[in-house]
Parts: sequence; C-alpha cells; structure tokens
Amino acid sequence: MILQNAIADVLNNTEWAFALAECVHIGGFAIGIGSIALVDFRMLNLGLRHETAGRILRYTEPWTLFALVFVIFSGFALYMSQVDIYLVNLIFPYKMYVLVAALIYNFTVHRKVATMENPPPLMSKLVAIVSLLLWVSVVFGGIFTGFLV
Amino acid sequence: MAIAHYLQNIDWLVEFSESVLAYPIVLSIHLTCIALFGGMILVTDLRLLGLTFKSLTITDVVTSLRPWKRVGGTVMIAMGLPLAACDAEKYAPNPFFWTKMITLGLIGVHALIFRPIVYSKTEELDRSPVIPTKAKVAAILSLGLWTTMFVMGRLIAYWD
Repeated sequence: MILQNAIADVLNNTEWAFALAECVHIGGFAIGIGSIALVDFRMLNLGLRHETAGRILRYTEPWTLFALVFVIFSGFALYMSQVDIYLVNLIFPYKMYVLVAALIYNFTVHRKVATMENPPPLMSKLVAIVSLLLWVSVVFGGIFTGFLV
Repeated sequence: MAIAHYLQNIDWLVEFSESVLAYPIVLSIHLTCIALFGGMILVTDLRLLGLTFKSLTITDVVTSLRPWKRVGGTVMIAMGLPLAACDAEKYAPNPFFWTKMITLGLIGVHALIFRPIVYSKTEELDRSPVIPTKAKVAAILSLGLWTTMFVMGRLIAYWD
C-alpha cells in the first residue's frame, strides 16, 4: 500500500515520470517481442535462413529477457499509478491472462521447438504462428485497455 | 491550419476517430509494427556494429530482412496517416509531432546516403577484415534516428 502510494505519487505528480514509464514500457516490448519475432520468422522460414532457429534464439534470448524485465517493471509502475482504473477495466484481466500464457509458452514450448535439431517443419511453423499471435494479442490488449474502459 | 481543419472533417476520418474499434485496432497495428519492424532494424544495426549474429554474414542479415522491413514500414506509415489526419488540428501545432516528421525525413536522407555505400555493398563489408567505419556510422545514426522517432511518437500525446 505504501509502495503503491509512493509509485502513484511519483507517476501522477511528476511531469515526465509517466511519459518515461510509458516509453520504457513500449520500447521494452518492442525489443522483447521484436527479438522473439526474429526467432519466429526463422521458424517460418521467412528470413535469416543461413542460421538455425536455435542459434538465433541463443543470440536474441538475452535481449528478450532483459527487455521483458523492463516491460514488467514499468508496467507494474503504470498499473500502480492508477490501480482503481485497472481493477474495473474489462480488458485488462484478459491482457494479463494472455501475457502469462505468452510468457509460459515462450519459455517452454517455443524454446523447446526452436532449439530442436530437426523439428518437423509443420510443427515449427505452427509453434511460431502461435507465438506471434500470443504476443500480438498482448499488444492489442494493452491498447484496448486504454480505449475500452 | 485550414488544411488540418479540412482533413479532420473528412467524413470517414470523423467516423474513424469516433469509432470504438477501428481507431484502437489501427493504433495496435501501428504499435505491433514497431515491435516486429523495430526488432529487425535493431538486429541489422547491431550486426553492422559487429555486436551480434556474428555467425551470419552482414549480407544474410541485411538482404533477408529487407523485404520484411519494407512491408513493416509501409504498414506502419499507412496506419500512422489516418491516426494523425483524424486529429490534424491537434497535431498541427504539436512540436513533438513535427520533430517526429522531421526525423522521418532524416531517415529518408540516411537511406539516400548510406544505401549506395553500405546497405547495397554488404558483400564488400563482409570481405573486409574489420567492419568499415562507414557501416558503423550508418548503424549508430540509424539507431539514434529510430529511437528519436519512437520517443517523439509517444510524447505527441503529452503536449497540450
């Protein structure tokens, strides 16, 4: 409660803090989702074909993790600044469910298939499409949280 | 201002800005493009700096992502146009909006300068024992310009 008040105070009463938190949040998801999408693109055979999906994942995973930490912390701060609004928002809970699903999926199924030596092509493609759909849904959920109160 | 007034009052743009679904969907697509397309720009620039994806040649990275970046850029601009036009009178005096547009222009200038000497000469870059300075300059400027675009885009909402 004290933490919530302190965060809300800073974000609501400092001119630049809310804007900064939003920039970190959006910039973070751009890098986080963008880096996952590179693996998905490879799994769909749409680019970076001279390298395996597993190797691409190895390159991008540190960015994904780093960015997601920023997204989640800045998102938590934004949430704390207006808890009352989020608690009654119709879309926000769905955004959170999809986010949790996307996170679990990313570090289990997605990771497993991306790092497989010779995954069946169809499975690889399907896993990549589900990954893209999940993450894009989270972005849509974020925007709709702001629009459909 | 007259142009802004005219734009904003075009029938379908009025409907668009008042719609419950169309406006947030278009905005979501605009943002999704930032993620998909932004990741590709980041990878290209970091590869030009020699910081990642070293097992792939610069040519592989630049040429295999080029068509997707074009698609992403086109969709992003196509979605951005109605978003700005339907609120033209608010955007017209907004300094963040104009900084964003100037940055977009500078990205065009960046392409004109560096495409012939860097992005279209990737095989030459790959043959060089060290990544030439011109490629690193192109990458750093690109990262700076796109970061400015992104931050200005967000700040547009904060000016009144």
